[in-house]
Amino acid sequence: MRLLVVEDDPILLRQLRERLGTEGYAVDAAIDGTEAAFLGSNEPYDAIVLDLGLPRRDGLSVLRSWREEGLSIPVLILTARDHWHDKVLGIDAGADDYLAKPFHMEELLARLRALIRRARGHASSELRAGPVVLDTRTGTVTTDGQPLDLTGYEFRVLSYLMHHAGEVVSRTELTEHVYAQDFDRDSNTIEVFIGRLRKKLGGDLIKTVRGLGYRLEIPPDDAP
Amino acid sequence: MTPPVGSLRLRLLLGAAVWILLALVIAGLVLAELFARHVQDRFAVELGHHLDQLASSLRIDAEGKPDLVRPLPDPRFSRPLSGLYWQVSANGRVVLRSRSLWDQTLALPADASAEDGRVRQWRIAGPERQPLYGLERSLLLPEGPESLQVVVAEDLGELDAAFRAFNRTLALSLAALAVVLTVAAVVQVTLGLRPLGWLRDELAEIRSGRKRRFQRPMPSEVQPLIDDLNALLDHADEVVERGRLQAGNLAHGLKTNLAVLANEAERLARPDAQREDAEMARLVLSQVATMRRHIDHHMARARAAASRGLPGTGTDVADCVSALVRVLQKVHASRNLAIRAEVPAGLTFAGDRQDLEEMLGNLLDNACKWAKGAVAVMAVRESKQLIVSVEDDGVGLSSEVFERALSPGTRLDESVPGTGLGLGVVRDLVTSYGGKLVFAPSSESGGLRASLHLPALS
Repeated sequence: MRLLVVEDDPILLRQLRERLGTEGYAVDAAIDGTEAAFLGSNEPYDAIVLDLGLPRRDGLSVLRSWREEGLSIPVLILTARDHWHDKVLGIDAGADDYLAKPFHMEELLARLRALIRRARGHASSELRAGPVVLDTRTGTVTTDGQPLDLTGYEFRVLSYLMHHAGEVVSRTELTEHVYAQDFDRDSNTIEVFIGRLRKKLGGDLIKTVRGLGYRLEIPPDDAP
Repeated sequence: MTPPVGSLRLRLLLGAAVWILLALVIAGLVLAELFARHVQDRFAVELGHHLDQLASSLRIDAEGKPDLVRPLPDPRFSRPLSGLYWQVSANGRVVLRSRSLWDQTLALPADASAEDGRVRQWRIAGPERQPLYGLERSLLLPEGPESLQVVVAEDLGELDAAFRAFNRTLALSLAALAVVLTVAAVVQVTLGLRPLGWLRDELAEIRSGRKRRFQRPMPSEVQPLIDDLNALLDHADEVVERGRLQAGNLAHGLKTNLAVLANEAERLARPDAQREDAEMARLVLSQVATMRRHIDHHMARARAAASRGLPGTGTDVADCVSALVRVLQKVHASRNLAIRAEVPAGLTFAGDRQDLEEMLGNLLDNACKWAKGAVAVMAVRESKQLIVSVEDDGVGLSSEVFERALSPGTRLDESVPGTGLGLGVVRDLVTSYGGKLVFAPSSESGGLRASLHLPALS
């Protein structure tokens, strides 16, 4: 899962990046409104954490322009403006959630997980594909109840595939959602991660669709 | 203390009354005087004719006594005591007199017999002591031995009667004129002062929040006042807005820093931390929480103080509630709550929109945290009060907890996220509007029912 964090306070931004990174997210950062607007419009994020009081361009106007462009990425507003009037403005501008500073990091993480899950239409915090269960709250993966030890990138690839279970996900798409923007990307490494995941998960849960990409199969008994 | 300035209307009317009275009194006096002069002149001229007639009719008869060639034509000379008299005397002896004098004589002043032939006027007493106006001259007839003193006199009573009749008519006409002029003055003043009435009506509308500014065009004397008032309103809005903005900026700046501190402390407090580190983290976290409470508390108070009594504030309740429900449905999306709003259209809160949002938002947020599955918000108007109730179907509260719920910064349940400040803010705002916040068990769902009693706008 790849996130955009828009925050102009450098220390808070560093804290957010560190913590979100350890939770398995690829994190891009923007420190002003113009940069945020550009990145949000051009990069395929899974969620955006947006501050409102930004230099150069106000967060609300950035959010409105995204929604006018038809961008449906879930946006969580994280701001010190905690009046209900600001919340109304934020939600009406198209935000999906609103969290006021100072905040508990755990609450931010919980709300982000819920946002991403809801955006994909998943009601439960546990994603399931056959024997494999991914608990988005704890960030753990189990097969047949046995915990699985995954590296950060392996987790990101699996998490993205499970959020989009049953759909064909191209290698480019995976690359874009697994790496942060400033990372030196190489789509061949995705193949390496897929290979390792297949080995760890066993079975043939991850199918290769020739010329298109990969698909995480939902075994028939799990289909809704 | 400023001296009482009284009523503008009364001033104008009193001024008009003084002028009307003065003008009419002067007009009355002048007219009465002119009339009197005219009548007196006519009177004197007529009496002069009688005198001339008498003089030209006089002759000395064969016996050497004065006599009339022919009787004077005015019948009043022959009717006794008719008020018109003549008399001829020689050497102070009355030798001839009109029939109207009967057996009386006209007593002339002592020096009335100068022999210069000039006509002189006298006021003399008549036969019945009534005042007479008399003309007198000396006359030397060619055939007579001595000069004769000729007098014609007429009762002034008739003149007085004529004056009285005229003056009465004059006074009545002038009084009628005074009434008409006063009514005209009242109409004029009322019409002239009407813009002030409009001004008051508009001000009332602004106070009640139906209007933001004076818009009605006014006469050129009042318009500058309107422009100044509008400028003053603009200025008041600007000051409040600037104050809010600055207080807000301060609060936001501090809160971002508090967030940084809190995050750092939370990192320190991880399970594998040293004991001193964990204690330090707890201290920092509790201080951060206290600081945040202070900021919120004082922000709310500043907001409450700034919006109190500010003209031009009225808020549509239904509109406000639906905006808040939109927010809550997003913020509490994962809880799948049914939020029901029963707010009749046209219900208006007599106060600032942001204040109502703050009060209701916090109550609704609390209700959403406590609810099992349903939250309801209802608003009704009872006479001049607006009652907005928020109900949840949670576990409810005991009366002792109700009390505690209202002390600032108290958390009702530490396990439910949120700092518990919400209620302190609500209480401050409610108090600033002279309203109250009432907690009661919900009759429908058994949860908590929080009711805001606030001033309503008609």
